[in-house]
Amino acid sequence: MRRGWLPLVLMTTLIVALGAYTEARQSVFLSKENLNSLLIEAMPLVLVSLGQASALLVGGFDVSVAALMTMCVVTASFTMTPTMSGLALLPGALALVAVGIATGVFNAVLIRVLRLPSIVATLGTLSVLEGASLLLRSFPQGAINTDVTNVLTSAVSFIPLAFVGVVLLAALGDLWLYRTRAGLALRAVGLDETSSRRLGMSTGRTVLLAFVVCSVMASIAGFYLAAEVQVGSPIVGNQALESIAAAVLGGASLAGGKGSFFGTMLAALFLTEINNVLPLFQQPAEYADMTIGVLILLALVLYQAPELIARFRAARRRPGELPAEMPAG
Amino acid sequence: MSIPGPVSSDVLSVRGLSKAFGAVQALRDVSIDCRAGEIHALVGENGSGKSTLLGIASGFLAPDEGTVDIGGRRLRRHSPAAARRLGLGIAYQDYSHVLDLSVAENIYLAMPADARPPYGRMQSWAEETLATFKLDISVTAATSSLSLAERQLLEVAKALLTRPKVLLLDEPTTALGPDAVEHLHTLVLEQARAGVGIVYVSHRLPEVLAVADRLTVLRDGVGQGTFEAASVSEDGLVALMIGRPLQVAFPERAALPEEAEVVLAVSGLRGERFGPIDLVVRKGEILGIAGAEGNGQVQFLRALAGAEHATGSASCGGSAYEMHSPLGPLRAGVVLLSGDRRSDALFPVLSVRANATIQILRRLARAGVVGRSPERRAIADLVERLRVRMGSTEQPIQSLSGGNQQKVSLIRPFLRGDVKVILAEEPTQGVDVGARFDIYEALRAKAAEGLATVVKSSDPLELAGLCDRVVVMSRGRIVQEIPRHELGERRIVEAIVGSRAVATAPAGEGAHP
Repeated sequence: MRRGWLPLVLMTTLIVALGAYTEARQSVFLSKENLNSLLIEAMPLVLVSLGQASALLVGGFDVSVAALMTMCVVTASFTMTPTMSGLALLPGALALVAVGIATGVFNAVLIRVLRLPSIVATLGTLSVLEGASLLLRSFPQGAINTDVTNVLTSAVSFIPLAFVGVVLLAALGDLWLYRTRAGLALRAVGLDETSSRRLGMSTGRTVLLAFVVCSVMASIAGFYLAAEVQVGSPIVGNQALESIAAAVLGGASLAGGKGSFFGTMLAALFLTEINNVLPLFQQPAEYADMTIGVLILLALVLYQAPELIARFRAARRRPGELPAEMPAG
Repeated sequence: MSIPGPVSSDVLSVRGLSKAFGAVQALRDVSIDCRAGEIHALVGENGSGKSTLLGIASGFLAPDEGTVDIGGRRLRRHSPAAARRLGLGIAYQDYSHVLDLSVAENIYLAMPADARPPYGRMQSWAEETLATFKLDISVTAATSSLSLAERQLLEVAKALLTRPKVLLLDEPTTALGPDAVEHLHTLVLEQARAGVGIVYVSHRLPEVLAVADRLTVLRDGVGQGTFEAASVSEDGLVALMIGRPLQVAFPERAALPEEAEVVLAVSGLRGERFGPIDLVVRKGEILGIAGAEGNGQVQFLRALAGAEHATGSASCGGSAYEMHSPLGPLRAGVVLLSGDRRSDALFPVLSVRANATIQILRRLARAGVVGRSPERRAIADLVERLRVRMGSTEQPIQSLSGGNQQKVSLIRPFLRGDVKVILAEEPTQGVDVGARFDIYEALRAKAAEGLATVVKSSDPLELAGLCDRVVVMSRGRIVQEIPRHELGERRIVEAIVGSRAVATAPAGEGAHP
């Protein structure tokens, strides 16, 4: 668990360092308006990354999340129109969540029942969802209810309430993952499915749950994307790879079983921060992509460093100082 | 011979089980029952259906036909969780540990969900649990850092955690030295006295006969009968298992010339768990490495093959070779046959042919393209000679039994023309009696060609029968060397026991933290 702190420390450091550097050059960065818009802007990526982290924890990928977010935006343009108000909006909102649950179950069935690798399965889902979105809205059309968007972005001072919510959610997620039986079971399934099944765990249900959580988080991210674009655009979602990047920077292992929701949240925040500050320096957005790529590579090397050092030390150890697990004869 | 219908005291009753994997009929109408307090051994060659039977009884596999009753109740849903609920515990041959988790976490997960202590008490609870099984393992250690013997004992302890009515043990002693086997048997007998029915699967007939009340023999997926242990002999059992009388035999050993040329010379080699070690192996010689498990034998052997970090030097045929990676030893003609075939040596999904020829593709290739027929020609004769049992050489190697997989990995050094040293780690682990002889014969044939061979084995009988000389390791060092004229199972076991007594003599030293 101690090694698990590295991503959290690294991400926090990077967020603060980049913020401080930017503030030193461009004093607008720490303005309430900018911080508020940064945090609102971060919401879709933070939410979908938290979902992605749960898919990674069981050793899967979900590349269909971005298409699902688009699908949700398009759905919202039908179910949450400006003419509605109050409770009439509730079924429309539930429709988005329903789309998420359906997608998650569909993915899980492809992976567990048809035994497709998750990356292939969700790639298929991605195409289906993209096609469906374009079928429903062949071009950006259909305004989305502003009452909803106002609620989503409501804030105390510059801090959006929703942001407080995801911070709590991520922290509770990590507590659950590393301090409860169910969290341990989830990690066990991600680390070694055969052994987990042998130990009597319902691995199928665990994977199903992880993918449904992933899709539901993506559909909630869809709400925030809808709030951002405010129109039924069929081509808005593009956070699939960024969400995987955030989960990995946050400490997730691509092999499954390892990861941190809080780290993922911080990483998603940091990735949004990069996108946010580049315009302040009049730099093209392409630099953001390159920076993110380099960062992921550096982070992966850094995260593995303790293990490499431990291995190196172990190899150097002399027979005089035998390791503790040496059994007595 | 005939098995009566389920009796109320039967804690496990398996009736008319059949199971096919594709074209292979793994089990055909097999029945077996286990009474409370009984140790019921299940013996048979590899591929005879023992593992399939255990897999079905434990709910991991669904049968094509037949029923499983645990503690008098029918297993209806074929899942390990359902079998556990009915009172079945199983120790898998290849374990059920999540290696990246700590020992405490693994023990915790092995507990049924409703019987687990609060999460915060996991550590102290795990310590208490291990203490009741007299296991001296640190609960905070990563499970991956345990020796195979420790993992095996931990697996049995985990199976017992659920307080099962019936306990299935699948080859529970493969990685255990004589003392650990005794520890295990004490534990098993204790459980049996407490009324647990135990189904004990093992290749080691003397061990099985020492503890079992009854035995059931399987051959080619068909039951050969159930017998009182007191009424059968080892020879009789072997005859039932293989269908022809066969002594556990070893190939003839030709006399070695007095001062044969030194092929492998090791000096001052030390690594994480062994050293310093000085050793020479001569041309045509098979040298055995004995010792209680976890005394550095495996690490020493792997270091020689460049698969484990070590300092010091080793030379092959007079010239020193690099040991930083497996490539240096391979170039020098030193080949390791890993004991962990599945994860180290073989490509499970590739065919028998591809697995056999993977190291000599360059030689088989013409203009960079490898033709299938030269490959098949290269291995055809060896497959025959080693008596590899399979449908065809195009079968994925994971569909073969353990013994046959081992034979395929033995084909590799035969195909390479440049091998000078074979390092064999547990060459017959999980291999049936008939296949064992084929493997011994193959190793002896290579030795006769002038190779030097080092065999690490936890079976003293095997070392006594196969080797020209045996060294005994304890706490990472060679403590005894047994020349050929003194070799015998008893002599080796005595050396292992004796050397341990010496090693642990100084008070406090070697104690666990």
